[in-house]
Amino acid sequence: MKLVVAQWRMELTNLVRNYEQLLLILVIPVGVLVFFGNVDVLPETMNLSRLVSSVLALSLMSTAMVSTGISTGFERSYHVLKRLGVTPLGRTRLIWAKAGSVTVVELMQVLVLVIIATILGWSATDASWWRVAGALVLGTAAFAGIGLSLAGRLRAEANLAAQNGLYLVLLSIGGVIVPVGELPARLSTVAQYLPSGALSEVMYTSLGGESNSSLGAWIVLAVWAVVAPFVAARLFRFDG
Amino acid sequence: MRNDNALEVTNLVIRYGDVTAVDSISFNARYGEVTAVLGRNGAGKTSTLESCEGVRRPTEGVIRVLGADIATAGNTLRARLGVMLQDGGIAPNARVRSLVHHYCTLHGRGGDADGIISKVGLTERTSSTWRRLSGGERQRFSLALALAAEPDIAFLDEPTAGVDLDGREMIRGIITDLVHRGCGVVLATHDLDEAERVAHRAVVLHHGRVVLNDTIEALCTNGRRLEDVVREVTR
Repeated sequence: MKLVVAQWRMELTNLVRNYEQLLLILVIPVGVLVFFGNVDVLPETMNLSRLVSSVLALSLMSTAMVSTGISTGFERSYHVLKRLGVTPLGRTRLIWAKAGSVTVVELMQVLVLVIIATILGWSATDASWWRVAGALVLGTAAFAGIGLSLAGRLRAEANLAAQNGLYLVLLSIGGVIVPVGELPARLSTVAQYLPSGALSEVMYTSLGGESNSSLGAWIVLAVWAVVAPFVAARLFRFDG
Repeated sequence: MRNDNALEVTNLVIRYGDVTAVDSISFNARYGEVTAVLGRNGAGKTSTLESCEGVRRPTEGVIRVLGADIATAGNTLRARLGVMLQDGGIAPNARVRSLVHHYCTLHGRGGDADGIISKVGLTERTSSTWRRLSGGERQRFSLALALAAEPDIAFLDEPTAGVDLDGREMIRGIITDLVHRGCGVVLATHDLDEAERVAHRAVVLHHGRVVLNDTIEALCTNGRRLEDVVREVTR
């Protein structure tokens, strides 16, 4: 446990020192929430409750997939993972330390975003925080699995491009900023099976919103939460 | 009774697809001695060392490190291994003191980070990141991580590559200290002059096979230089 805590602290220290990662995990989600919470440019159905759930999904995607994926990809290319793998920390504890670091960052993101949303006029009275926690766990597993699948195979630079590209695609047409139901028919069909769309939907209903597709979204998210880490475990190479 | 061998490599084979990098080699390395693994580029030195460190799973063969099979090594064994990778294994934004301290914690052998940093001559650079260090300083930073284990066996891959004369002397001194306290040192290097100065025994690899395995004293008889001996068998 002592080793996991030591590595976890090291992971968080590295994150705080990395300004690009902070931009991704904090500045962008906060910026999106504040901008779209004040400027009326989104579809009518994208009310503040929808926006909050979408931004929470976006922040989780930023941390679990992009931030973890990019940093792990670079660590792999610099042989940091290989070096740590021959210490008593080993691979399993390293993964636990990384998971702990992601969890802390996500909790911090939820806290900051909920405070800002409340300032913007959103109320959390109808939220089921247990369901929000469930959504965070499934979403983290799904997106970390996707991020690590890319990070564990691609060269660091290709991984960087792929993670950012995927982030932008999911952000724009994956049911995050524009709800799945508001997308053009073909895109909507695809988006409802994507983890981003499912997570937004699940987050929306967990925060008190009403939707007919909640059960389907939970199932889609749960499937991604099982399949993506499995694929990552199969593809991942510690040695770059 | 303790076995004299800190490392026992038996019939080690390492294949990458169809390419056989290491072809059934066997050798030992003793406690309190430096065993130099020598050979040209692509001879199989790094593959061999990485298998001994537990980084790479060999295709065939058995490697016993400090008396235990490295394939099933637990944390207790890994805590006693000092490893210096050829490519460092350090992130560019890692700071000297913080990372050496972290590795001392991971190994849990009571290593004193400041003492180790002083030993490798980086006291003035404790808050510098890897990217701001010179080539020689990076090597010494990497060596410091190996020393954080207070190792019983140290695997050092090209420790003097890119290091100036003063730095080499410092690294040589550190290796000698390790040997004096009974640590087995396995050193992969291209630098035959360095190997001749510091090693007790040489294992020469050529095309993945051991072509020489003897003490430096026995190899360098009649005033012959190690460089000439190695060149002759790897021609």
